[in-house]
Amino acid sequence: MDLAKYRALFLEEATEHLAEMSRACLALEKEPANGEAIDLVFRLAHSIKGMAASLDYDAVTRLAHRLEDRMAEWRAQGRVDTPDGMLLLFRGLEGLERTIGVVQATGECPPPDTELLDRLAAKKA
Amino acid sequence: MKKVLIADDASFMRQMIRDIIEPEGWEVVGEASDGVDVVEKYKKLHPDVVMMDIVMPKRSGIDAVKAIKAEDPGARVVMCSALGQEALVTEAIQAGAKDFIVKPFKPDAVLSTLAKVAEKAE
Repeated sequence: MDLAKYRALFLEEATEHLAEMSRACLALEKEPANGEAIDLVFRLAHSIKGMAASLDYDAVTRLAHRLEDRMAEWRAQGRVDTPDGMLLLFRGLEGLERTIGVVQATGECPPPDTELLDRLAAKKA
Repeated sequence: MKKVLIADDASFMRQMIRDIIEPEGWEVVGEASDGVDVVEKYKKLHPDVVMMDIVMPKRSGIDAVKAIKAEDPGARVVMCSALGQEALVTEAIQAGAKDFIVKPFKPDAVLSTLAKVAEKAE
């Protein structure tokens, strides 16, 4: 596999996804039951997870997976919990931005943020 | 040469599939980035096999399988899923998908699944 080519593709596409995810999170902050925005964040997290897994970026994969699962829960209940769920959602987004930022800066994926992973995995935020 | 249509909202994944299958003699006749696009392109291109992500914008992979099978009951669709999506894979198979592969892609698994599904078409 041409890692440099795929890393560049990943960074380009993941950066676009994060910007879109950020807009969706802001929409959810105003309207926690916005089903379209919940669905969008779910799908973008899923997409980032698939790309990151292909490059063995474990920290990104696990974080995106937890966020995807959490979005699936909120989708099932029809709204993001407030205020704790919203705070957690923004922390998840920031975590992805930070981790992907390290990949961009160094070419290497940092270790997973286990504290954030645990918080996203918990049933209640 | 067998024709393949690739559907995934991530151009990264479409490129990866293309890079795995084209050197092995498969012809990529088209790419689709959402569940509406793939159904339209299926009607125009009549590929031998569709490789389709299970989570896509506008129309889910499962809905797109149903639409393609309604258009062509003999259609051969391989779903691309990820870990933790077992329930969706089962639903996609029930909707008419022939097989599935799991991300991250292993080239051997992609090629053997494609060959198996295309063989069924003959």
